[in-house]
Amino acid sequence: MSDVVLQSIVKRYDATTAVDNVSLTIRQGELVALLGPSGCGKTTTLRMVGGFIPVTEGRILVGGRDLTSLPPNKRNMGFGFQNYALFPHMSVGENVAFGLQMRKLPKADIAAKVKTALDRVKLSHLADRLPKQLSGGQQQRVALARALVIEPDVLLLDEPLSNLDAQLRNEMKLEIRSIQQQLGITTIFVTHDQDEALSVADRVVLMRAGRIEQMGAPDDLFERPASHFVAEFMGVTNLLAGTLESVGRFRLKSGEVVAVPVAGLSGDLALALRPERVILDGTDEALLANTLSAEVEFATYRGLVIDYRVRLPSGVTLIARRPSPAVGGPAPLSPGRAVRVSWQPEAGTLVPM
Amino acid sequence: MSGSAMSTATTSPGGATAPPLNLPAPGARDRRRLSPAFGLAAPGTLFVVLALMGPLALMFRYSLNRFVPGQMMVEAVTLANYQKFFADSYYQEVLATTLWVSGLSTLLCLLAGFPVAYFLVRQASDKWKGRLLLLVILPLLMGNAVRTAAWMVILGDKGLFNAFIGLVGVSPVKLMYTPTAVVIGLVSVLLPFMIVTLQSVIEGIDANLEAAASSLGASHLTTLWRVVLPLALPGILAGTMLCFILSMNAYATPVLIGGPSFQMMAPAVYQQVAKAMNWPFGAALAFVLMAVTLVLTTTANILVQRRYRRWSE
Repeated sequence: MSDVVLQSIVKRYDATTAVDNVSLTIRQGELVALLGPSGCGKTTTLRMVGGFIPVTEGRILVGGRDLTSLPPNKRNMGFGFQNYALFPHMSVGENVAFGLQMRKLPKADIAAKVKTALDRVKLSHLADRLPKQLSGGQQQRVALARALVIEPDVLLLDEPLSNLDAQLRNEMKLEIRSIQQQLGITTIFVTHDQDEALSVADRVVLMRAGRIEQMGAPDDLFERPASHFVAEFMGVTNLLAGTLESVGRFRLKSGEVVAVPVAGLSGDLALALRPERVILDGTDEALLANTLSAEVEFATYRGLVIDYRVRLPSGVTLIARRPSPAVGGPAPLSPGRAVRVSWQPEAGTLVPM
Repeated sequence: MSGSAMSTATTSPGGATAPPLNLPAPGARDRRRLSPAFGLAAPGTLFVVLALMGPLALMFRYSLNRFVPGQMMVEAVTLANYQKFFADSYYQEVLATTLWVSGLSTLLCLLAGFPVAYFLVRQASDKWKGRLLLLVILPLLMGNAVRTAAWMVILGDKGLFNAFIGLVGVSPVKLMYTPTAVVIGLVSVLLPFMIVTLQSVIEGIDANLEAAASSLGASHLTTLWRVVLPLALPGILAGTMLCFILSMNAYATPVLIGGPSFQMMAPAVYQQVAKAMNWPFGAALAFVLMAVTLVLTTTANILVQRRYRRWSE
């Protein structure tokens, strides 16, 4: 059993607080993504779990054992660095063997374990190469093998995919997830990319300014953002400020009144509306309770989709996303054209500002 | 070394720097522009050739001349001066002393300098790093002779050191005019060179590598031995060569702190040239010193490079 428990972790540097009272339990075998913009404290938190940065306040427990004051070499955790941090003067095999040598295993055992670890990441044939002779993706695999071969209680990954190109990133994402599930290893995965977090994690922890803003299953954060910040970070581009006028009626700051789902909120709110849910020149009026007239300001062609920025008479702008003709979407709209903008009330989510 | 720098400058192809809009016409390969680096390297190269190689050649010529007392130098081509060195055990002992004093001083500089350089890079905050580095370099702003004179004040029979240990009831020790004193003096002169050289190399080692070693179970000491030290090898080599060459040629320290009975090569050369007026033998001694230093440092370089080249470049 190696549940990882962070109890009210605080990290202060002189005047600034990098991590402010973070409490989190990661269950055995779970993959939790720490997500957030740069400077939100996610990497600091990870490094405190790894033992590289001392904790100012709070405790870190793994399987009930308090590790707070132990150095990294006594924690039995595998750490994957953003730049992989492979030893440049050692071959791939020597890099993977390093942790086993530290554990003083017999030579034959080391050789067997290194082979298994490299097989797992499909790199056995490169065991004699030096790190610099490998591609970025291969280096990432070696780093993963090196971290896993010591059979750590916890795997910590710091932005493991950020140095890879887009296609490789997708491949590695799946590979990390599949290895993690095969081994059933408790994993903390730091990333600034919401898409990465959503697709790889059992649970996503979104951090902001050293605190946890929201945590939950990927669909929780994506579909039920708890704040303006979460909605924005999760890629909701339309966030319209306003106040509730009556149950189900929301008055935008710019004056328009629109229908929204019933929510137990009050005060200054924002209506979060994904661009995919905004319909231009929709025909099925019955489904579209909110219909406003607007003008296309400009269009951004993005391959599979086209993003249109439309302006309401009050000056408020919205982004509407439509499939492009490449995937059978309607013909493009040119700027200046008058359109009707509509969405279903349930498509919007109210969030506190 | 300067020779190889020159040859690189003259042979480096200039075509690679041609701007893309100014493509050379087919067949114009022969009239490629000289690399701008050549123009930049030329004044320095010229100066080295004239100011260093010239006198060196002249001294080498002198070393082949014959010394006749009263007449000083007589034009000749003889190896007599070199034969004299290899026949006279006194000068071989001087060379041996120079070698072990230099070797020991360099080793002590490495042992004392590495921890300081490592601390500067990994522990000191950016604000303090600059100040501490300045502090390390500060002694170099003072003349070598002045610093050595200060050591005379400290190490003398009635100096500060003996006064200090006298306070705690220890009887005075003889330090001045001993090899120990010379080694102390040399280490104090050379340490800044070692620290600055090591610091710049350790600065280039990714701190994450040490974190990685630590997370894999390595203690501080093992990390230092298996990761930091191998990666700092080029810096260790550079610092060691620098300190060794400087101490092989040390003059003020052995003369002022070593005293008249302690002989090292550089003072011996001076002795021959300025006191005995024996220019040919002095020149021969200088060339023996240079050859020994060159052979040792080149060998060390080759040995280390062979290990290092595998993964560097």
